[in-house]
Amino acid sequence: MQSPIYLTGTGQTRFGEHWDKSLKNLMEESIDAAIENAQCTALDIDMVIVANMLGEVASDQAHLGAMAASLLPHHPPALRAEAACASGAVALHAACAMLESGKAQTVLVVGVEKMTDVSAEKIAAGLMGAADAEKDAPSGLTFPGIFGLIASRYMHEFNLSREQLNHVSARHHKNAVSNPFAQFRKEIPAESISASPKVADPLCMLDCSPISDGAAAIILSTKFESSIKIAASQLATDTLSITDRPTITSFAATKDAMTAALEEAEIDRSDIAHIELHDCFSIAALISLEDMGFANPGEGINLYTDNRQPTTINTSGGLKACGHPVAATGIKQVIDVSKQLKASGKSYGLAHNFGGAAATCGIHILQSESLITNH
Amino acid sequence: MQEGTILSFTTVRHPPEGFPAGPRVIGLIELEDGTKVTSPLITDNRQPTTIGMKVLPKMRLSRVNSQGLRLYDISYEIPVQKPVKQEFPGYVLALTGPSGVGKTTVSLLLSTTVGSYVERVPILTTREPKEGDADEYIHVSPEEFLALKNEGKLATFTSIPSRDEKRWYGYRTEDIEAIWQEKKTPVIITEMNLLQGLASHYGRRSILSFGLMPPGKSKRQMLSALLHRLRDRGRDTEQQIEDRLKNAEADLDFFKTRSELFDDLIVNDNVDTVVGHLGGLVLERVKA
Repeated sequence: MQSPIYLTGTGQTRFGEHWDKSLKNLMEESIDAAIENAQCTALDIDMVIVANMLGEVASDQAHLGAMAASLLPHHPPALRAEAACASGAVALHAACAMLESGKAQTVLVVGVEKMTDVSAEKIAAGLMGAADAEKDAPSGLTFPGIFGLIASRYMHEFNLSREQLNHVSARHHKNAVSNPFAQFRKEIPAESISASPKVADPLCMLDCSPISDGAAAIILSTKFESSIKIAASQLATDTLSITDRPTITSFAATKDAMTAALEEAEIDRSDIAHIELHDCFSIAALISLEDMGFANPGEGINLYTDNRQPTTINTSGGLKACGHPVAATGIKQVIDVSKQLKASGKSYGLAHNFGGAAATCGIHILQSESLITNH
Repeated sequence: MQEGTILSFTTVRHPPEGFPAGPRVIGLIELEDGTKVTSPLITDNRQPTTIGMKVLPKMRLSRVNSQGLRLYDISYEIPVQKPVKQEFPGYVLALTGPSGVGKTTVSLLLSTTVGSYVERVPILTTREPKEGDADEYIHVSPEEFLALKNEGKLATFTSIPSRDEKRWYGYRTEDIEAIWQEKKTPVIITEMNLLQGLASHYGRRSILSFGLMPPGKSKRQMLSALLHRLRDRGRDTEQQIEDRLKNAEADLDFFKTRSELFDDLIVNDNVDTVVGHLGGLVLERVKA
């Protein structure tokens, strides 16, 4: 990055079912928390970027940039970013571009999603918009179905057992117990995962991240310094449909974004102390760890069955246990990584956020102050 | 349309709105030219679906939209994989024909005249034993029969509905194979379903298949000959005889409609001639 971009303020709502709050209420709550937490004031924000996927589907509401800007006293310019579940990472990336170009000095990025007010069928249909409407949807696939295909192939190629896969969600649930913002703060034993109702074989209900409401906001600035800066912000894309890919047990977009992010941050993979990764389905966590190079293909599960790992994975509880208000997730991950760095005193942490079946992948690497001052 | 290979598959328990409710099996299929598609899979209960299976395209009703328009789409179907018998197991002599035509008599005489070359295979049945039964039946309970059927231990089987129950008939592979072990030709009494089952189990060329017809120039005369024989036999009530004649008509038609299942049709006007003819054929095969 040419000039350092700092995380000057962060805030989020609890993720979960917020039947008493609208899209706007959730947005406001997270923005207020971020401003309160920031070095700057609301009036210092000179640009707003809103991440959202399902405003039209679930709340009959488009034009979310202006909605967010209207929550600030001075109505700064605003835009909306949409890239399905990767909307959060895309919004952050756009903010970094604005800051690097000098177009803005302090940008508010807010991710918001309201999903629990409408029927499950309607939300499922909306989420299916993240896949290819011509190639994937006509067969009657749902998103769990797409990841069911991926999991089934993965288990076939790498001899992963159903019992082994149970450890992924079990670990995420265990981690969420101490996260006050998580939707499910409850430990779930591994054997209960595969005992839950089947959703899309071999995936069960407890392999899937839930439907959630929530918002998360970050204020990024080149003007107001803080202890955490963005060391890398990278996006990569892949084919929209899984049918156009040479393999479905590895995601090219994750690999590309990771390579570019390590290069941009000028660090090695082993420098990363904390990971928040995109576990929309349990199988996605394993594939993501492998694509980011933390495990060999087919061996991602070892990072879940062996507890003695130098790198923490989804300490927040991940998408599974924190909840997954889709566009808020990418922003919430960065907030969690920043908290983890502050708590541990380590130097680098990584947030991995993807949309659809990783047709868009965004990776952000955060760097904490201790190293910045040493330079 | 191209054939394909299953790369992966899943059962979507809650299909999207507008699709039929209930589990929907969807596959990721790679076609011959390398194109991949997602498509509903028509699975086969008789064999588990696995990755790598070949599938064939089939047009099928996908869903009915809210305006009532019926939308057809391509599904992929797993072809039925019949176990192909690589080696020729041996000959089975099958006698097919309507009730009363003399199948049992012919088989009994064969086993006495050329007894060192042929042996009758006992019929497995769930029906109650009754007076006049020859030693040809092995009586089992319906549960035992179905267990054998599910374990694949039957070479062929059929069910015949009767007034108060469904009666099962069949032949055990172990009985047939034991006769082959003795270097003899098993003799089996069949009807249409049993014969078809037998031909698909051992392969048509293993079956020395003969249709026995009652004497008579017309169907009416043939049925009349059967009626007299059934009455002479004195084992059935008039009601049962009437039922048997109804079935006999279908059996006679079967000779024509599935003529490929028969090597020859023999008119049983003189039982000694028939036995001599069949005995000669068996000896011929054994020597060859």
